[in-house]
Amino acid sequence: MQIKPILAAMRHHKAGTVLIALQIALTLAIVCNALFIIQQRTARVSRPSGVEETDLFVIRSDWADKSDPRRIDAQMQADLIALRQLGSVQEASSTNSFPLRGTGWDNFIKLQPDQVKMTTDAAIFFADERTLAALGTRLVAGRNFTAGEIGAQQPRDALHSAQVIISKALAERLFPQGSALGKTIYVSMGRTPSTVIGITDTLQAHMTGSWANPYAYNAVLIPARLLNDYTYYLVRARPGQLAAAMRDAPKALYAQSRMRIINAKDGVMSFAQVRRRAYERDVGMAILMGIISVVLLAITAAGIVGLTSFWVGQRRKQIGVRRALGATRGDILGHFLTENLLIGIGGVLIGAVLAVGINLWMVAQFEMARLSLAYVVAGVVALLLLGQGAVLAPALRASRVSPVEATRSV
Amino acid sequence: MFAYYLQLGLRSLRRSPMLTALMVMAVGFGVAASMITWSVFRAVSGDPIPGKSAQLYTVLIDNRGPQYNDNGEPPEALTYTDATALVAAGKAAHQTLFYNVAPSVLPEGNQSLPFIANGYATNADFFGMFDVPFEYGGGWHASDDAGRAAVAVISHELNQQLFGGADSVGREITMDRHTYRIVGVAAHWDPKPRFFDLFSGNAFGDPVQLYLPFARAVDVQMDTAGRNNCGSNADFGVGRDAWLHGECVWVPMWVELPDPAAAKGYREFLTNYAAEQQRAGRFHWAPNVRLRDVNDWLDHMRVVPPESRISLMVALGFFVICLVNTIGLLLAKFMRRAAEIGVRRALGAPRLEIYHQFLVEAGTVGLAGGVLGLLLTALGMFGVGLLFEPEIARLAHLDLSLVATTLLVAIVATVLAAFYPTWRAARVQPAWQLKSN
Amino acid sequence: MLKMTHLSKVYRTEVVETYALRDFNINVKEGEFVAVTGPSGSGKTTFLTIAGLLETFTGGEYHLDGVEVSKLDDNARSKIRNEKIGFIFQAFNLIPDLNVFDNVEVPLRYRGMKSAERKQRIMEALERVGLASRAKHYPAELSGGQQQRVAIARALAGSPRLLLADEPTGNLDTQMARGVMELLEEIHREGATIVMVTHDPELAARAQRNVHIIDGQVVDLSEDPRFHAAHAAADQAHG
Ligand SMILES: Nc1ncnc2c1ncn2[C@@H]1O[C@H](COP(=O)(O)OP(=O)(O)O)[C@@H](O)[C@H]1O
Ligand SMILES: [Mg+2]
Repeated sequence: MQIKPILAAMRHHKAGTVLIALQIALTLAIVCNALFIIQQRTARVSRPSGVEETDLFVIRSDWADKSDPRRIDAQMQADLIALRQLGSVQEASSTNSFPLRGTGWDNFIKLQPDQVKMTTDAAIFFADERTLAALGTRLVAGRNFTAGEIGAQQPRDALHSAQVIISKALAERLFPQGSALGKTIYVSMGRTPSTVIGITDTLQAHMTGSWANPYAYNAVLIPARLLNDYTYYLVRARPGQLAAAMRDAPKALYAQSRMRIINAKDGVMSFAQVRRRAYERDVGMAILMGIISVVLLAITAAGIVGLTSFWVGQRRKQIGVRRALGATRGDILGHFLTENLLIGIGGVLIGAVLAVGINLWMVAQFEMARLSLAYVVAGVVALLLLGQGAVLAPALRASRVSPVEATRSV
Repeated sequence: MFAYYLQLGLRSLRRSPMLTALMVMAVGFGVAASMITWSVFRAVSGDPIPGKSAQLYTVLIDNRGPQYNDNGEPPEALTYTDATALVAAGKAAHQTLFYNVAPSVLPEGNQSLPFIANGYATNADFFGMFDVPFEYGGGWHASDDAGRAAVAVISHELNQQLFGGADSVGREITMDRHTYRIVGVAAHWDPKPRFFDLFSGNAFGDPVQLYLPFARAVDVQMDTAGRNNCGSNADFGVGRDAWLHGECVWVPMWVELPDPAAAKGYREFLTNYAAEQQRAGRFHWAPNVRLRDVNDWLDHMRVVPPESRISLMVALGFFVICLVNTIGLLLAKFMRRAAEIGVRRALGAPRLEIYHQFLVEAGTVGLAGGVLGLLLTALGMFGVGLLFEPEIARLAHLDLSLVATTLLVAIVATVLAAFYPTWRAARVQPAWQLKSN
Repeated sequence: MLKMTHLSKVYRTEVVETYALRDFNINVKEGEFVAVTGPSGSGKTTFLTIAGLLETFTGGEYHLDGVEVSKLDDNARSKIRNEKIGFIFQAFNLIPDLNVFDNVEVPLRYRGMKSAERKQRIMEALERVGLASRAKHYPAELSGGQQQRVAIARALAGSPRLLLADEPTGNLDTQMARGVMELLEEIHREGATIVMVTHDPELAARAQRNVHIIDGQVVDLSEDPRFHAAHAAADQAHG
């Protein structure tokens, strides 16, 4: 294959060559970053929650009468008994929040009472002895709360919990060497220590924002019912009976008392819905980037087809002459493929630099992660293949030009 | 001449339908992607109160000190103590404070179930400062704040739900088992982003349903349904009272200052207030206060979701690529007609007429691309609802200005893209014709 | 009408300089019919393109209708081409996208003529070349001779005072060539100035005057043996 006539031809179509190279470069830059965003978002979405999600659902009950905390406490206990009695329900527990909820109560965690800066941040989950069973989360060390240890408190009371269960990630963050079991930590702003009596397996916090990434698996379980304006019930249906339980549970609660509000829209949510809501933005972003990448590649390929077809059309006579002078079909095909490869290489070189540049800018602007070079390499290969694929049809057409064309005028 | 060129352009586009379709699609997809993401972006980044955004300021005071504050920034709202003291001082033209409430509302008639309504416990100045429009009645008076009156303003939507849209001024509404007399019904009002309530993350939240006096809500121990941020500095004692008078921040405060001089004066007042607290022994640090106007506050709180910004940027990049693509295809299309251009030039067409002819042709491609883009945008608006959470998605809507922008952007962009190919076309030498046979 | 003195035209490429015309002198009077002959590559087409203001020249002077044209800008040159000059090309050069009517219309469009007048002129021109019935046909549907007649109609429609033809019969058979020639003679009789490049000694002989170009220069016809040979051939053909 001779490179020289190809370079000569490219010089003859300077503008077209530059435009294709530019298009490849920009496409590479955007597709690389889009794929990277997709990967990041899907990685987030597919993080484990540490919760046995099938058959789990949550109910939010707002109290119509908030005036008496003792009444609320009594109502919560009665509600739990009613829920557990349902045939479709396997386990029920009350809490203020749960993994992936989005908003909730998070507290700074310290190792010393007079520490100025926090050691880390963690979600506060009010729990009872049934919470772990309802979530389907195992303990990896220590013991669960006993029924006798479960107290009650109002939201404006400081957390004074002598005993807490913490998540594995929090335990490892607080006590990197050795077990956290039996150690004391400071969960509230106060000076009262809490002893770690149990450590759960992986358990995700309610925070899903990117600011909370370092704390995403930090959770503290407090053995108390929170007597707030509302409460959540975590309900585990018997296997396969989720739909029935989701229908039965609110009815059972209303049968207990009508002085409550269970929002028709999102008062009862399966955990699948909770998950969908938590990651809506991430999934949306990934899909959008996916659509843009696909359309972009298609348009770039179509652009290459269009421009190369034009060149082939323009050079028909020339090709005919070459054929008449003994060039084989393979030579002609090779000419166009090589030409495209050269343009493509030029494009991807610029594109790779652009891709990294755009990523660095996004890192600075949006606290995104650094683009892994594997994406650039994959993008480069994909675009070169795309170029070769796109050029194939017009190149084949060129190779089929008959030597007779040489003799035709105009 | 325009009609002639339009006719020529259409004819030429029909001659190579594949190439034309390709260009139209490139422009259509590019403009649609840009318009969809832009419509979301413009909704989340717009000025929510255009006439007044430079006169409304949120007030912030550092009550935590350099050890505990957020890299030197005061917390994002005030303590109850500071907010009530500053409002009572009345040093600004208008001042308001509020916190989020979510009382249970019991509709009249014993068949109805209670429901939760969201709203603000605030003061009389709120309505005037934030330009709340009224359908019936109006806001309450400052005397109602002082008298801790049991009055309420409800939204158009809540009025619809409770009273079927009738003039309900003077009627009663039961919230958390207390009754309030309705003094006003607001017309539909839902500024986006809801700049004054960024502290609780309600920039794009559901519209507000009711308002009641701040002092009254505190009296009946209505708890905040918004954010409560206690930092990590001290022991706050036990119970509601200790919390209320403690150092947790949960009350956003806004002042209206008509001109820079007033703002300067208020800043001085604020600094003096903090200095006073220091003298009294409450703060152990020099005054650290902020006065941020609406746009400054929106910036500071990063209201525009990064997703929206990134999508817009990626979409614009996409559009640029589509245009580069269009430049290439137009170049091919125009240069294929070098012979025709040569003949036209030989027959006396001035360069300008060649420009004219080919830009009109590009314009028709742009117009077709714009129409396709419009269809795709409409489709995309529907898709945005599937892709993004409803709070953001419902902000994007196809209005007349978006339709006009879409078409205009498509045409202008395509004509701009056509400049290089057209310049090349106009450069074709008339003599080319005679020499090339 | 058309006067070139010491005119030169140099083509510069990266490697060579080609003198297409050098010290080129010619004077064509109003109403003359001049045939230009010469070997291939001698500069005939270059002369025509410069004469028709399609190209600029390197040195010397060119007066068209008494106007020194090297000072004119592109717009003024376009205007003169459009109003005073008609072109007939060897390869016809019709616009394939346009039908016969629209092709003939092209120069009139740039003249800003009213639609009714355009239509009348086009139909007259097509009438003259005998193709009025083919107004709606596309070039590809016509024979070579018909295409050239359309090209002539296009040149005529603007009533040019100067008609430039570059081997107008080069792509036609003898029969068609004769038809085209007759048409040109008729136009000439009506007062147009015609400069025609041709290879065909028979056609050249039918012009009022012959100009011979060799190596970019007009040569004295009486001193060139090839001219005598051509004349002899033409005489035979006529005789
Ligand atoms: N555009 C051009 N660039 C370079 N050389 C040219 C160009 N046009 C013509 N020439 C050269 O000028 C000379 C005269 O060409 P031309 O006028 O076309 O001759 P003819 O029409 O008599 O065959 C030739 O040597 C040709 O190669
Ligand atoms: Mg020639």
